Amino acid sequence: MKIAVKIGRALGGGAPFATVVCLVMYAVYAARAPSALSIFGITNVLNDAVVLAIGSAGLTLVILAGEFDLSGVGVIAIANVLVATTSGASGFGALGSLALVLAIGLLVGTVNGVLVAFFQLQSLAATIGTMIACEGVALLILPAPGGEVSDKIATGLTGDLAGVIPVALLILGGFAAAWFVFKRTSLGVAIYATGADAQAARLSGIDLRRTRLAAFMLAGLCYAFAGYMLSAETGTGDPRVSSALLLFMYAAVAIGGTSLSGGKGGVFGSLVGAGILTVLQKMLFALGVAEFYTNIFNGIVMIFALLFGNIVSSLAGPLRRQVAK
Amino acid sequence: MRASEPALEVRAVGKRYGATVALEDVSFTLRAGEVCGLLGENGAGKSTLVKVLSGVVVPDSGEMWIGGTAYRPRNITDARTHGVATAFQELSLVPTLSVAVNLSLPHPAGSRFGLVRLRRLEEEAARILHTYGVADVHPGALVGELSLGVRQRIEIVRAMMRAPRVLLLDEPTSALSDREWLFALISRALDGGTSVLYISHKLDEIRRICHRCVVLRNGRKVLDSAVAVLSDAEIFSSMAGRSLVEAFPVASSTVQPGPPALSVKNLSAEGIADVDFTLARGEILGVAGLEGQGQSSLFRALAGLLPLRDGSIEVAGRRQIFRSPRAARRAGVVLVPEDRKEEGIFKDLTALANISLPIIGECHRLRFINRRAERARVEEVIPIVELAERYLPQNIEALSGGNQQKAVLARALIAGARCLLLFDPTRGVDVGAKQSIYRLIRRFAEEGGAVLFYSTELDELVHLCDRCLVIYRNRIAGELSRAALSQERILAIASGHSLPQSAQPEPFAENSVTAR
Repeated sequence: MKIAVKIGRALGGGAPFATVVCLVMYAVYAARAPSALSIFGITNVLNDAVVLAIGSAGLTLVILAGEFDLSGVGVIAIANVLVATTSGASGFGALGSLALVLAIGLLVGTVNGVLVAFFQLQSLAATIGTMIACEGVALLILPAPGGEVSDKIATGLTGDLAGVIPVALLILGGFAAAWFVFKRTSLGVAIYATGADAQAARLSGIDLRRTRLAAFMLAGLCYAFAGYMLSAETGTGDPRVSSALLLFMYAAVAIGGTSLSGGKGGVFGSLVGAGILTVLQKMLFALGVAEFYTNIFNGIVMIFALLFGNIVSSLAGPLRRQVAK
Repeated sequence: MRASEPALEVRAVGKRYGATVALEDVSFTLRAGEVCGLLGENGAGKSTLVKVLSGVVVPDSGEMWIGGTAYRPRNITDARTHGVATAFQELSLVPTLSVAVNLSLPHPAGSRFGLVRLRRLEEEAARILHTYGVADVHPGALVGELSLGVRQRIEIVRAMMRAPRVLLLDEPTSALSDREWLFALISRALDGGTSVLYISHKLDEIRRICHRCVVLRNGRKVLDSAVAVLSDAEIFSSMAGRSLVEAFPVASSTVQPGPPALSVKNLSAEGIADVDFTLARGEILGVAGLEGQGQSSLFRALAGLLPLRDGSIEVAGRRQIFRSPRAARRAGVVLVPEDRKEEGIFKDLTALANISLPIIGECHRLRFINRRAERARVEEVIPIVELAERYLPQNIEALSGGNQQKAVLARALIAGARCLLLFDPTRGVDVGAKQSIYRLIRRFAEEGGAVLFYSTELDELVHLCDRCLVIYRNRIAGELSRAALSQERILAIASGHSLPQSAQPEPFAENSVTAR
């Protein structure tokens, strides 16, 4: 148990449990649909998960710092319509549109960060504002679904390398690796400290404003990249496609064991949380459950994840106290 | 720096929060190589001064100088670069991070790639902890898992390890059981060229280690003198602005015979275990304990905020199970909580609305609130707490701490409390309001009410209580009768020592001291 607590700490919160759940569900799915184990099947699932995963990875950073961010879907929408309008041959190309999209994400993140960290606005309220504004901007760029995403993006990011490794797996693996490095940087430590106890962090000399600003900026970059990936998946632009993502991003974060009050959890858990939500859908479909029921199960899974997190921490509590003595 | 040059000089510093003056025209000098005591009651401005000096709060006026250069810290790291380090009273450690990482904040030392190397940090931390004599703490342990006393030691080590020019220690012994450890470290720091500002309200500590002391009262400096030439009475009276004798209402005990108002048997809840006591009508029963020994849990359990694991509560002979504060209130047991700002007052409401809340349901006509009836009910209770009528229409946040607390007490009384649970009711309250609260407590007891009274101010317990329970490590460690009550005895039991020789019961007070 002590080791379990240690591993849990290393991965950040409820991630081990979430990982097990995800794998079990995948096994059930694979038992009903053997193609799930083929490289094609795996690529397919990962492609479905990657947008939600990256979006919630960004959101996790903000939540760890003790704030909320709703602007993610707005940034994803802008990114999507920008890629659909600029990545073609007449536009900036695949890399050019990536740079453009990341710059927009960084800009929105900076605006959020400045509003929250420097103007002391409540993050929930301020980011509702930026979310709505961003969705408006997306509609302005592309009023109706359409546009075209460059083939390089659409096929390059959704396929696999030499039929062995899905590109999405590389991207998600890259994010996970970046996370394990990032949480060991002093900015990573500062984000955890700020979210856990802002007053103590401040008295410890941590610059709260810079930390919060950085969290929002990094999150903005993640959302933008998630939007880029979304464009690769759908191959087209749709200013409204991302709206459904908003609450699922929060669900993925919560399922992954990150505390919505900040300071506890981690990005890895959120990646797995996004995986759970995606695999659940596949599993239910493979089991022949009608699509209408999917959201009921999504909700139930989320609630169970929260309950389980509670049980684990109440079990670990007395145990830790003994260790401390 | 020349030896004659002061380490720190503060000139005419002032700070106000809205209508409340926290500091006004405070000037003093901390000489190089000395320990200067900073005394004052709760709310006298000590903590504000500490925050100003450590860069957490920017003063409204005044100047500060360190070693002859102007000192205007914008934040705590800025203060640190000027050689000012602080061990805060409220502890500035992040509970979810390990001891090692906490010691390394704000910039954990990393490798070439900017990565925090936990193992190296832990080795470093182990070395530091060893140097400062904190051997029993694993550097990898999370701070939140450590006891308050250990956290305080780490807080102190974190301030000292920077070898500051000026060291601010804000109530460094509030949770510390081993004061000698601290005193040894202080003398070592002095040898290293550090000057110390030692904030405390414990006179014996000031006498023990300070050459000089400064006393604050209501945000102003009222005394600045060498400690040796001052008598205890002089220091106390300058802190309180009154002489010691008239500080507390002298009254004989009003304990009434008959069934107890509150009887607790074998009570256990999270953070408290095996508590037994009875509280008679008309009795003021004190509760003493160092911070974090379980007193908060006891009060919360009695008020229905914490589920019982075991044991029973009887109110006026009837067994009660309080599932909520509402249930406790219905039985006449009302808590005046510890954290007035968060748990006591309703911020955006007027004082009147804050007081009338429990009875607002009774003041209506045709389901609309009858303002006149509300006002009449409130006016019945405010003379008891000595709250002036003119404060009623004001937003409660605009009131001073003392008047806020009076309003909270009035709210407890208006609902017809028979048993008051007062958790440190005089914290952050001015002297005048303290007197009102003392009188209120006495009067409440005289009229047959029962009071359970926890205070961090031991002299309050000594002077007001009929008996005093002392809590240590989540249990009642001892009980002192009125005849045996003294600050020394409370402290001895509260810090886990068995009773010192001097505290053996005098012949006339046999069985008055019971160490359990």
